[in-house]
Amino acid sequence: MSDPSTKDSTTTKTPMVYICGECHSENEIRPRDPIRCRECGYRIMYKKRTKRLIVFDAR
Amino acid sequence: MQSINDYKPRIILNEYNITQNLPSAPTVLDETFNIKKLKKIFRIVIVRYENMEMEFDVIGIHPFIANTFRRLMLSDVPSMAIEKVHIYNNTSIIQDEVLAHRLGLVPLKADPRLFQFKQDAEDNELDTLEFELKIKCIRSKDENKDSSRIDDIYKNSNVYSKQIKWVPKGNQLDSFKESDVGTVHDDILIAKLRPGHELDLKLLAVKGIGRDHAKFSPVATAFYRLLPDIRLTREVKGEAAERLQKCFSPGVIGLRHTKDGNKVAVVNNARYDSSSRNVFRYDDLKDAVIMTKVQDHFIFNIESVGALKPDVIFIEAVKTLKDKCLSLLSELEQI
Amino acid sequence: MPIAQLAGTDPAEEKSKTFVFHDEGHTMGNALRYVISSYDDVEFCGYTVPHPAESKMHLRIQMRNGRAIDALRRALKDLVKLCDHTIETFNEQLISFQTDQLST
Repeated sequence: MSDPSTKDSTTTKTPMVYICGECHSENEIRPRDPIRCRECGYRIMYKKRTKRLIVFDAR
Repeated sequence: MQSINDYKPRIILNEYNITQNLPSAPTVLDETFNIKKLKKIFRIVIVRYENMEMEFDVIGIHPFIANTFRRLMLSDVPSMAIEKVHIYNNTSIIQDEVLAHRLGLVPLKADPRLFQFKQDAEDNELDTLEFELKIKCIRSKDENKDSSRIDDIYKNSNVYSKQIKWVPKGNQLDSFKESDVGTVHDDILIAKLRPGHELDLKLLAVKGIGRDHAKFSPVATAFYRLLPDIRLTREVKGEAAERLQKCFSPGVIGLRHTKDGNKVAVVNNARYDSSSRNVFRYDDLKDAVIMTKVQDHFIFNIESVGALKPDVIFIEAVKTLKDKCLSLLSELEQI
Repeated sequence: MPIAQLAGTDPAEEKSKTFVFHDEGHTMGNALRYVISSYDDVEFCGYTVPHPAESKMHLRIQMRNGRAIDALRRALKDLVKLCDHTIETFNEQLISFQTDQLST
């Protein structure tokens, strides 16, 4: 395991992008920010789909 | 119970059962398998050939041969199909695995004889076809905004098979034309999108056989049936003749007009009879007809999915049987 | 690749044998069974696919006279001849059908 303090500092710096459940706008939210859409104030937010490649068998 | 005793092997369809006729000479059904004798009576007659559909008769063979050919066409003749789906992005409502499965079933137009079976994990131009499906749905900026038609409001709301684009690998462009590779049908609905939804996929198609997965089967259907033969044992006239005609498939029974203004039933063409036993519902007609099927006369129907012509599929099936036998023979030499 | 193999029979007993075919099923099994059992010297011929999940086919041949392996060899050769004749006849008919279509 890596040093927990460095891991903590990277997470505070990089914001995560969430999608509003109401108006579908993208919001950057940092840890301990209020979970709230900046556009419409809606409080349900969704994570974006992974950018990683996924391979499926067509069966 | 009635019977026809001629030289052909037949089954006779009675009201409640099926009986065998007694052929006057030995038939293929009970003789020793002998290639010289077989060559004397073996015949193939091509009856119908329309683009991707074909009907032909194979006459003078034992049922096992017919069934072997049918089984080979369904599950041993190779064709190309999408096997791996690389999903870079899929924000549509259809789930990744469902989308992948749907794409696997899309019939591909590519001659499987020009490809090899995939051996190792590495893709190469000899065994893999690569396709790409990149599409994003947006709100249409056209002036007819007040229209309620989906196609006017959104762009790319439907994803069709024509949007699957071939990406030539290596020097595939030298051996294939753009028109040789792609999907057989361009209007298969793959997914539905709404603004913001996006598909970004890489599709890898390989060669396979129907035994592994039905998507690799080159035929939509391949089946055979026995030739029906219908005989009238006595004259059927007037109203009874019309009733008799209705008992069979259209075109099977004809009506001949006699000089005295009567109608007499005749058998026109029993080939396309569905072999229903409706005649046996009428007590006055059941003794007038003998329904039989010729047991060494097979009517094959082949409907191709579209990658290979039906005649090529049949030939390939027979060739695979030959190859199997030859490789087994060489295996036997080593024992 | 399909492999023909002998299993569970006395190697000295040439008249009766069970052959095990890997990667073969009812298609080859039924075809071989019919051809072999139609031969005069064959007392019994039958095939089985012991388990559908295993791609193996067992073919049992019992002879009155001669060796079982010869009957199998003869059957395979007969099937090859049948294939050759079928392909030849089919191609002839296809050509004549196509010329008929063009002329009408």
